[in-house]
Amino acid sequence: MNRNKILVVSLTSFITTLFFSSSAHAMHISEGILPFNWAALWFAVTAPFVALGLRHLNLLAKEDLSMKPLVGLIAAVVFVVSCMPIPVPTAGTCSHPCGTGIAAILVGPFVSVLVAAVALLIQALFLAHGGLSTLGANIISMGVAGSFAGWLVFRGMRKIGASLAVAGFMAGLLTDWATYITTSVELASGIRGSEPFSPLFWKILLAFIPTQLPLGILEGAMTAGMVVLLYKKRPDLLVKMKVLRAGEVAA
Amino acid sequence: MHHHFHPHTHDPSRLLVRLDARVKLLSALTLLVMVISCRGTLFPLLVAGLCMIVCVTTGMRLKALAMRFVEPLFIAVTVLLLKLFFAGTVPLFSWQIFGIHVVGHLDGLKEGLLIASRIGGAVSLVALLGFSTPFTDLMAALAWLRVPWGLIEVALFAWRYLFLLFDDAQVVYCAQKNRLGYAGYRRGLRSFGTLAGALVIKAFDNSQTVTTAMVQRGYDGNLPLMRHRPFRFAEVAVAILFVAGMGLFWQM
Repeated sequence: MNRNKILVVSLTSFITTLFFSSSAHAMHISEGILPFNWAALWFAVTAPFVALGLRHLNLLAKEDLSMKPLVGLIAAVVFVVSCMPIPVPTAGTCSHPCGTGIAAILVGPFVSVLVAAVALLIQALFLAHGGLSTLGANIISMGVAGSFAGWLVFRGMRKIGASLAVAGFMAGLLTDWATYITTSVELASGIRGSEPFSPLFWKILLAFIPTQLPLGILEGAMTAGMVVLLYKKRPDLLVKMKVLRAGEVAA
Repeated sequence: MHHHFHPHTHDPSRLLVRLDARVKLLSALTLLVMVISCRGTLFPLLVAGLCMIVCVTTGMRLKALAMRFVEPLFIAVTVLLLKLFFAGTVPLFSWQIFGIHVVGHLDGLKEGLLIASRIGGAVSLVALLGFSTPFTDLMAALAWLRVPWGLIEVALFAWRYLFLLFDDAQVVYCAQKNRLGYAGYRRGLRSFGTLAGALVIKAFDNSQTVTTAMVQRGYDGNLPLMRHRPFRFAEVAVAILFVAGMGLFWQM
């Protein structure tokens, strides 16, 4: 991309954030933006992940009857957290975190896909964040990419000896950025028309940088804060959800 | 957020609210498919206009309707600008801004307008569906459409406790704000993390209490299925005629 195009994209994103200050949201693909064939494809890609999530949830519920209400309540927490405004310094707007990072850390990536699906469904129906036709695409970006990135990073960081705060921060950060990158892929492939994929993908990625880059850092800080608070106040919950071993809490 | 879930939005005295949720859901999904597969801008704009008129005339507040359009509008404008400046080959206008040559393309503008109109039509349609149908009825309709029951159960649990958690979150947020918990980014982030963590703890505790209460009432890990009343011929016939009529516009 040449210098002029980069400048125009920056100008475009600046103007849009200026006109719509206080309205930049966690990056969901809006209702109606994807043509039918792409919307259907993302639903098909989502199906096995949702099926595996349901299988995991049913196995967990057989051991502990409180798991279904718990997953429902975590979905409600994700929904509420994603409705709370947090300021994004570089864009001068308020934005909203995804919240799936903490869900993946607590209930695992597969069940976290269900959490994201439920939160996205309620958001689509009542807040017009995301949409019904784009539910499949949004589940893939926020539920699958976000949850798996967050869970893998958290587990990986803990394995190499990182503290809960650092592992939580990195998990939140990469959950958000993975969601953002996947959304850009979905958006570019869906709206490119007759254009080649790659240039449009980079333009979309650049256009959303002013909000999504700092938002990732904010989400990382939020996730770290949540994990640390749980460790201080209710370490038993982290043990129950197999985030920590009982010995780690005693130590 | 509460204005989106105002109880008067599902006032049963309104005809649209009383319609069978399955009929509304199937009609809305069919129209949604038509909107997103449409190749012209007129059909999505027609759907948007109709849905907005019905929303406003049946009591949806303008502020609530406008707020639903804020995020989709933001995305629609971004896509429109991206398409205008970076897609297409037929020049429509050109500007010199600080020495940069900026060209808007006619075919890019058309593509952008098509996507923006689809967004408008689809968002209005789903806004009308959400406005006229209680959540539990929608979940029952989805269960009838064979959406996995486990997913519906989780959604129903989430819906039941969403307002409780939201009220708790607002109380904690106000308390933090009054104590300067959001004065400065660093402090604000710490407060936000604490708020979110407190909600997770509440969720855990509530799930235990709820499970104990439900087990005492015979809960064995599965919620009982929701029952539907039989379809009414008039409702189904009107819905089919309406969707077929819209189908004719879609083909034009």
